Amino acid sequence: MENSTKEDYRIQSFDMETQNLLKTALKDPSSVNLDKVSNIIVDQSLKDQVFSKEAGRICYTIVQAEAKQTNGNVFRRNLLNRLQQEFKDREETRLRSLQEWVCFVTFICNIFDYLKVNNMPMVALVHPVYDCLLRLAQPDALMNEEEVDCLVLQLHRIGDQLEKVNNQRMDELFFLLRDGFLLQDGLSSMARLLLLEMLEFRAGGWLLSSTAHRYYYSELAD
Amino acid sequence: MSDWTRTRHRAADSNGHENTNHGPSRWSHCRKRGVDGSLRANRETDGADGKNHRHTDSSYRHSDDRHASFTTPESEGPVSRCGRQTDWGSQVENDELRRDVQRDMQRYRRRILAAEFTQRERKTSSGSSGSCDSREGEHMETDEAVLLRRQKQINYGKNTLAYDRYTKQVPKHLRQPGVHPKTPNKFKKYSRRSWDQQIKLWKVKLHAWDPPAQEGQEKDLNDIEELDLDDVMDIELDFPTLPDSQNTTASSTKYNPLLEDEDCLGTPVKVMKTETTVEPDMA
Repeated sequence: MENSTKEDYRIQSFDMETQNLLKTALKDPSSVNLDKVSNIIVDQSLKDQVFSKEAGRICYTIVQAEAKQTNGNVFRRNLLNRLQQEFKDREETRLRSLQEWVCFVTFICNIFDYLKVNNMPMVALVHPVYDCLLRLAQPDALMNEEEVDCLVLQLHRIGDQLEKVNNQRMDELFFLLRDGFLLQDGLSSMARLLLLEMLEFRAGGWLLSSTAHRYYYSELAD
Repeated sequence: MSDWTRTRHRAADSNGHENTNHGPSRWSHCRKRGVDGSLRANRETDGADGKNHRHTDSSYRHSDDRHASFTTPESEGPVSRCGRQTDWGSQVENDELRRDVQRDMQRYRRRILAAEFTQRERKTSSGSSGSCDSREGEHMETDEAVLLRRQKQINYGKNTLAYDRYTKQVPKHLRQPGVHPKTPNKFKKYSRRSWDQQIKLWKVKLHAWDPPAQEGQEKDLNDIEELDLDDVMDIELDFPTLPDSQNTTASSTKYNPLLEDEDCLGTPVKVMKTETTVEPDMA
């Protein structure tokens, strides 16, 4: 039980005290300071790439637990407002640390993926997520493999959902991707490969055909 | 409940002052211009996506004859219309509220239609001429802003320990009209004053189920557990003359003198004063 919680929520990177705090938050949210918990999670997501990819899950569970226990929204509210603040400062963050910027995008997309409202994506996050992805598709960002890589990951995870809630902006994103692929000088071959993969991925209805998959990923170990 | 209060304050503050949370966020897709300054005019016409997702809460419908703010019973002053709050926490909460209200509306409509149908069938078979009250479906409240406001008021009342204890102690089939508090029906047409008054009275009645204030009062609870339904029938729970029903301390001092009268054990007056849980056990 101990270990599965760690692995499910990827909280191994936290110190023991924090891990216990998080575990308590999952089981008995009203007994902890939820503002503090949400801050801890956000802070860690911005530093830890592994965690940022999966933090949505623990957030979802805490939100559900709090709603069930006290009908409250304290955790979710603080989480979202923190996210909003980080979003506001994203350009600064990107200049300061590419790693942190990429972690932020991964995290906000993960939250979008997991934190649904009545099984629908949170409307408030749709445009911010698109803004982030479009930023990653800008010419300067395409020069950095980690940013392109991040973009691929997000599209694979939430591309279809995003398209459903706003097709127009997805088109907008893909105009940029096509332009980048065709016209941009100085892109690494890896970047071009990833761009092509994304184009094929969407064209295939957010699925990569088996042949395409072989082409792009056959070199990778399972 | 406290985070609703914060919501109100923040909304009121967002018009100018600082708020106590992580600083007011000016960023909002409710604005006419995006972060980069460009007009967002075309974003509003996202008809392409099936759901017509209103990423901007405030952009829905209003041709803006309507007031941008109004004072609600819970707020301390003018509060911006629910859609205008710019922080994501509030946006998501309002979004959720809106969806819940929509869903409730559908369910209610279905129930009304089913009831009307049955009523009509009964009338034609008995040969009587139909009365007009069966057309409730056409006279229900559908204004979303009104429904949202009412739902928020209901939520205030439901997010209390008293309501929690009440629902646990009195199952629906045992509830008696007039005796037990009944949540006002947000879909019925009422004037603003009428509705607000109903909410007040409802909350007053709910206070009967407030948790005991001290240890000592638990004893009283045990003593009256033997009371049966007959005693309950004598109880009148309406307080039409209460001046300010929100303030329970005021009403408790008002009813203090009656404490001496031991025969009043089962009356709501006693309940109001002592805040014991006399009521629920008698049900």
